[in-house]
Amino acid sequence: MIAASEKRLIAVWLALCAITIVSLWVGSLDGRVAPAASTAVTSGAIGIALLKVRIIFREFMEVRHAPVLLGRLTDLWVLVTAVCLLGTYWAGMAFSTG
Amino acid sequence: MTDVAGAGPGPRELRLAAVDPDAARDHVPGQPDMWAFVLFEAFLFTAYFTVYMVCRVQDPELYLRSQAQLDLRIGAFNTLVLLTSSWSVARCVQSAREGEFRSALTNAFLTLAFGLVFLVSKVLEWAHEIEKGFGFSSDEFFSFYYFLTAMHFLHLLIGFVVLGVVVHQLWSPARRSQELVETGATYWHTVDFLWVIIFALLYVMR
Repeated sequence: MIAASEKRLIAVWLALCAITIVSLWVGSLDGRVAPAASTAVTSGAIGIALLKVRIIFREFMEVRHAPVLLGRLTDLWVLVTAVCLLGTYWAGMAFSTG
Repeated sequence: MTDVAGAGPGPRELRLAAVDPDAARDHVPGQPDMWAFVLFEAFLFTAYFTVYMVCRVQDPELYLRSQAQLDLRIGAFNTLVLLTSSWSVARCVQSAREGEFRSALTNAFLTLAFGLVFLVSKVLEWAHEIEKGFGFSSDEFFSFYYFLTAMHFLHLLIGFVVLGVVVHQLWSPARRSQELVETGATYWHTVDFLWVIIFALLYVMR
């Protein structure tokens, strides 16, 4: 019989693999022959990646059992990375098309 | 088991945390020093990623043309391999916590095997790109491609040493330390989550 914790790890691993397959699909949306800049694809790719990282933190790295401070620090890193990457991309695209 | 919040748990909580982290909310997986290192490395990589993004938005066409030379499927395969290695090292931690050291060792070796698959795949990908004429100096995208993947590769190599320590700990009953197993696993997961973002930035984004 599989323990509940083991089942949870399997579910998390399957979810992360499924999300990666979605990334593969997002990255193939306009083919690889003449790819074009896309705010939607980029925002989706970075959003999906950071969602996966947060799941890894909380489930595989057991941050959900850790003191609140550790959870907040890892969430802060996810937030700072999201702001840096998406903010730079959105601002850069707005200037280049503006 | 180490506590970083307040006065710390009592002996009963420590015993419970060793068996099931659900029983103790204040369980820090592994050594707090490793978490400080992980957060430092994570913020350092955020700086690398941001510099990459600043350069990319100044010449998006060049980056898109060069990015098209990479095989998205290989990037996705490598991501799946590292995610699976993270799963096996998480199982190693759980097995060790439950006292099932044979299973913990098996999962530690599985993690090493998945890491080796990633290593071989990455070397073959580099060789393939160089064979096509895309080296470190070919253009700005490939300079970032080789820099980011090489920095990650270096962390992967350190990960093998860390996993070696975990195997050494699990091998003999006299050496078994749950804290060191969790510390090693925390490092290995870092190798995984940094790659997840590198995959999005080099292979998927447009």
